[in-house]
Amino acid sequence: MENHQEPIALSSFLIERRSLYYVKIVVTIKLVPNPNAEKQIDPQTKRLVRTGVETVLNPYDAYALEAALQLKERAGGDTTVTIFSMAPDSLKEGLRKALAMGADDAVVLSDEALEGSDVSATAYAMAAALRTLKFDLLVVGGLTDDSSTGAVPGALAEHLRLPCITNARKVEIKGDAIEVERETDSGYQTVRGPLPALLTTALTFGEPRYASLKGIMGAKKKSIATISLRDLSLDRPVGTAGSKTELRSFAPPPVRGKGKVVEASDGLSGAQAIFDFLAEKRLV
Amino acid sequence: MKNVIAYAEHRHGETRKVTFELASEAGKIAAALGGKAHAVVLGPGSERLAEQLKTYPLDTIFLNDDADVEAFLLDPIVDYLEAAARIAGPSLILIPNTLSGRDVAGRLMARLDAGMVADVVELKPDQGAVVCTSPKLGGALITQCALRPADYGIVTVRPNAFAVQAGGAGARLEPLAKSVGKSYRAAIESDVEEGAGELALEEAPVVVAGGRGLGGPEPFDTLLKPLARALGGAVGASRAAADAGWVPYNLQIGQTGKTVTPTLYIAVGISGAIQHKVGMRASGTIVAINKDAASPIGEFSDLLVVGDAFRIVPELTKLVETSKGSLS
Ligand SMILES: Cc1cc2nc3c(=O)[nH]c(=O)nc-3n(C[C@H](O)[C@H](O)[C@H](O)COP(=O)(O)OP(=O)(O)OC[C@H]3O[C@@H](n4cnc5c(N)ncnc54)[C@H](O)[C@@H]3O)c2cc1C
Ligand SMILES: Nc1ncnc2c1ncn2[C@@H]1O[C@H](COP(=O)(O)O)[C@@H](O)[C@H]1O
Repeated sequence: MENHQEPIALSSFLIERRSLYYVKIVVTIKLVPNPNAEKQIDPQTKRLVRTGVETVLNPYDAYALEAALQLKERAGGDTTVTIFSMAPDSLKEGLRKALAMGADDAVVLSDEALEGSDVSATAYAMAAALRTLKFDLLVVGGLTDDSSTGAVPGALAEHLRLPCITNARKVEIKGDAIEVERETDSGYQTVRGPLPALLTTALTFGEPRYASLKGIMGAKKKSIATISLRDLSLDRPVGTAGSKTELRSFAPPPVRGKGKVVEASDGLSGAQAIFDFLAEKRLV
Repeated sequence: MKNVIAYAEHRHGETRKVTFELASEAGKIAAALGGKAHAVVLGPGSERLAEQLKTYPLDTIFLNDDADVEAFLLDPIVDYLEAAARIAGPSLILIPNTLSGRDVAGRLMARLDAGMVADVVELKPDQGAVVCTSPKLGGALITQCALRPADYGIVTVRPNAFAVQAGGAGARLEPLAKSVGKSYRAAIESDVEEGAGELALEEAPVVVAGGRGLGGPEPFDTLLKPLARALGGAVGASRAAADAGWVPYNLQIGQTGKTVTPTLYIAVGISGAIQHKVGMRASGTIVAINKDAASPIGEFSDLLVVGDAFRIVPELTKLVETSKGSLS
């Protein structure tokens, strides 16, 4: 199936941006269960239990937000950073953390019909919502902590017809172009593309900042707008009906118990203990 | 979903073991589904790799040595893969779970309106569907997800999960036409290799990883590298070591780094934080060297040796080297 949706009107974006003299940045943020907390799957729905579990900004997304905030500081003027998240209404207050770090406002796509969306349905619905926000730069995290497909950024770029530049560790906006130094599997590259564009950031971009007290106070007054599927035009189902994968079963991995402990009195005895252990397992 | 396509990632014809793992698995699954297995090889050096792939259980190797593949970021690759997929019809598409593989997979998923499962370690055909096993939530759960028969299905495959097995009647090479009317937008202006020629971390059978306990960059070269070399493995690191700038980020293992599944993992001066654990917990055997007996790494290591890494590692390297010498 081709994308029947109209591509994002690149030219109108550019014209609008030129006349406004500012850069509008949107950052996608997923709220995920605390990575350090015990995770549970509801055996009935086969979905991750998200109620009663503390949520945090997905770690990669905190880096994406940091990158956006740095770009905003450098660009100056009326540059804005808007957070976008697809999340149940009950979680959306969790985005105050992102607002406290310095984002200007937030938009949440929330709809019961989105429940059960797999990665293809999620990316499709997110794209439909992002299409209604105008932006010059869309900054997306590289990977979520819970579903960890890493497929959403590429899929968003396709649906929105945006150039897709991933794993950025340095970014420069020059007029209507973006120049990026990006990490690859075996080194790094410099890449240049037109705006609007989609960017994902590498962790080397810099540690996410802490929210200041002023930021936390200010965040209370910032807007978190909600949109639902009724506000969007979709030409394919989302939620469980729009998903293309079916979770059949799940189980914890085989337990990995505590093994042998050897106190090494000196270097050689420690080395010998390891060597003998490896020899026994035929690993040397 | 009858046919299977393996995307053969490479640089100038140089490829990693995962490419042969994908080609081997493609043949196996296609046979089980009653379809054909293909590979797609793109960019300069394609012919060289295609020749190597001929000995794998593949039917057709689609190729184009188009220089644009190296000049533009992923756009041409996605176009070519889409073209190959349209020829094969609703098929299972295997892509390595590398940084660039993930980007390709996401884009192709949207293009083909495909189902997708990430980080797959096992594939099982089941009445036309394909059931994929993949660890989720940092390995805290192992899931089984089915891709539906009528759809394209995209799978990113974890390196080191599938066996390499050559064999087959000799695949046919078939040029893949360049898509017309497509615009490539992200231009690659320079491309730098770091640590070229070294064994890739994700597919090394042995990983010797160092952490903050090593205290600086030098021990990675003087302590860990010799041990890794003696064991035929690669050096990795914790985030603390990468953050300190002691090693490049592409050596980082864990939640925000690489996931590795070597036969043997040796953690040197690494405390075993949960974010590190998720990147190496599926290793075959885990050995830790740590001067703190209460370090969390001991909770999931098969052997914890409590002692000073600076004294133990050089002796261990000598023992391994001597044993190799006595065998040859
Ligand atoms: C969002 C997020 C993502 C993260 N992602 C990752 C990730 O991908 N990978 C990762 O590794 N971490 C990650 N971390 C960081 C993680 O929480 C730990 O901080 C990190 O793993 C600690 O690294 P370390 O074990 O090298 O250092 P430490 O925890 O400081 O441990 C050093 C160890 O060395 C031992 N030691 C010291 N000297 C010696 C000696 N001479 N001989 C032997 N042992 C010695 C000490 O006893 C100690 O156990 C992440 C954290 C966050 C918040
Ligand atoms: N529900 C969501 N809301 C906002 N952003 C999301 C959502 N799902 C995925 N993303 C973004 O897409 C990135 C990659 O996600 P994934 O492909 O699921 O690993 C994340 O780091 C987020 O930036």
